[in-house]
Amino acid sequence: MKFGLGVNANETITEIVRKTVEAEKLGIDYVWVSDVPVQLYAPTVASAIAANTRKIQIGLGLLSVFLHTPVQIANSVSTLVEAYGERFELCIGPGDRNLLKSVGVPLYHSRGVGNYLLDAKKQIETTLWKNKVKCRMWLGVQGPKMLEISKFFDGVLLNYAQPDLIKWAVDKVGSVKRKDFQFGIFSSSYVYQDFNPKIYNLLRISSAIVALGASKVVLESLSLSEKIVEAKKKLDNGATIASIIDHIPLKTIELFSIFKPATELGEYLSKISKMKVGHVVFGFPQNFSEKTIKELAQALKSYTQLKRSLQTRNT
Amino acid sequence: MLLDIGVTSGMQLKQILGLTELAQNLGLSNVWIGEDITAPHDVFTVASIILLKSSTVNVGIGITSPLIRNISTVARASVSLTEIGGDRRFRLGLGIGGLQDLTRLGIVVKNPESLMRNAATLLRIIWKGETLSFKNGDFVVENYYTRYGLGYYIPIFFGVRGPKLLKLAGEIADGVILSGPKTYLKKAITIVKESIKKSPQPTRNFRLVVWVPTILTETHRDLNLVKQTVAFVLADTPRKVLEMAQLNFDENEKIKRIYHRFGIAKASELVTEDLIEEVAIHGNSKQMCEAFESLEKLGVQEVVFGPPYGANSQSALTKLAHAWRRPS
Repeated sequence: MKFGLGVNANETITEIVRKTVEAEKLGIDYVWVSDVPVQLYAPTVASAIAANTRKIQIGLGLLSVFLHTPVQIANSVSTLVEAYGERFELCIGPGDRNLLKSVGVPLYHSRGVGNYLLDAKKQIETTLWKNKVKCRMWLGVQGPKMLEISKFFDGVLLNYAQPDLIKWAVDKVGSVKRKDFQFGIFSSSYVYQDFNPKIYNLLRISSAIVALGASKVVLESLSLSEKIVEAKKKLDNGATIASIIDHIPLKTIELFSIFKPATELGEYLSKISKMKVGHVVFGFPQNFSEKTIKELAQALKSYTQLKRSLQTRNT
Repeated sequence: MLLDIGVTSGMQLKQILGLTELAQNLGLSNVWIGEDITAPHDVFTVASIILLKSSTVNVGIGITSPLIRNISTVARASVSLTEIGGDRRFRLGLGIGGLQDLTRLGIVVKNPESLMRNAATLLRIIWKGETLSFKNGDFVVENYYTRYGLGYYIPIFFGVRGPKLLKLAGEIADGVILSGPKTYLKKAITIVKESIKKSPQPTRNFRLVVWVPTILTETHRDLNLVKQTVAFVLADTPRKVLEMAQLNFDENEKIKRIYHRFGIAKASELVTEDLIEEVAIHGNSKQMCEAFESLEKLGVQEVVFGPPYGANSQSALTKLAHAWRRPS
């Protein structure tokens, strides 16, 4: 199992680079640089990370194919690979409906979002091939329709954390022929040794944002539809996330986030690794500080050591 | 007047980085990156790499069109580069875009003045961190506010050519990147200067930058490169600029037709010596410096060298920078 840290949420590039250097030192395999219209531009952030680190793998995304053209996405990756070597992976997807709407980008295509994503994937692949660049391409999704097309990618990054939901998604994807296909999760996370209520509140907001951007089908299947639709209406009328947070059920944290004391992380990871999950990205607010990154890294180290010793004992 | 180096995102990354490193070593302080939309590079990512690899040179995008990316993307990419470079090392050049590029993308510009005015205004509001709602044909933002570092002042340069847009540049931009025939440049500079005088901030620090085809020629063979460059540039020159330059429109149309039908080599056969003199700056390093000095007399503060530079780009840059010998 590979582990990543999500960055680029309300941070400066100096902070992002400092935290990534720390993550690399602590043995975290990946750093994932998110890209939404309200944050810094991911390819340039990835460039700063790559220039200041040596081996950590850099994930770019999720990059919305509605916000960037496939050629722009492919050219960003190509430029990074040409400058810093093959250390990059890419995750594309539709993107957050509400944030895209705020910059005048409708999450709509006449041929359907799924077909548009597949077309975009093909164009990105062709452009990367022309540029002689190799790069793993993930699909970042949530809803059942998108899950069905994920088998055409190199992997799928799920926006869930709860094991039952992950199992549902894995079953939905079904059997995949390609051997190197991977299942991954990219969730808001707070794995802690010393609990900090301030970070918990950030996690709560982060989970709420995921729930607010979730598809109707997903919300209905989780019995969240009524409350989330109500909250969405308030948001549309100009309310802030902070002001409606109490209307969002706490259940969203359990469903969409990894919220655990460090001692319980191993058990959780063992459980999801049995569901074919091979890549876990700990998103905001896990990157809150060097301390929270260190707490995560220590928990991951304990898990890896325990797993190794169990394997040794079994053999 | 400063001598700057110009590169494009269509060049090989190795060549871009080699030239910018050399430019820094030669004491040049500004790099401009022209966006080639058919290139395999993202212009903002290229800018980040240059900023990260060098410690002193300023980097400008010269130019990108607000029509090919969402305005929020241009805003946050610019802030990212400002954070990376620090201390005002990044400058954003905005323009409508090349005629051929826009045609290829199927983009029709209905009102260029409104487009450029709105683009600059929106970017500045976004960078201030204000919540923004705006809707017109080119841009739609709804209750939009950013969550990244704000409060930076990012200079906006206009890369524009028509009289109305030049006037707009003088009114609202922090600088202008001019390109076109020499007769045109004189008139364009006058328009911009007049507009600065009438603008709300007539005493602001406005930069006049000229980026025209500049080629160091040492042998007769180098002249072919000049002719080809001139043919390429003329094929993308709008009618208004040709009129201001008092160039024959029909002759230019012929060059354009041949260029599109038979390619650059054939089109370059129609390029006369008069056209070369009007459109390009070429010659040995001394002659080129003399041509630059004539621009300085018009009030130009930065002149951009290249591409295509000459037969050997590194050697041409070195010779020209030594001949220029100006502290930057």
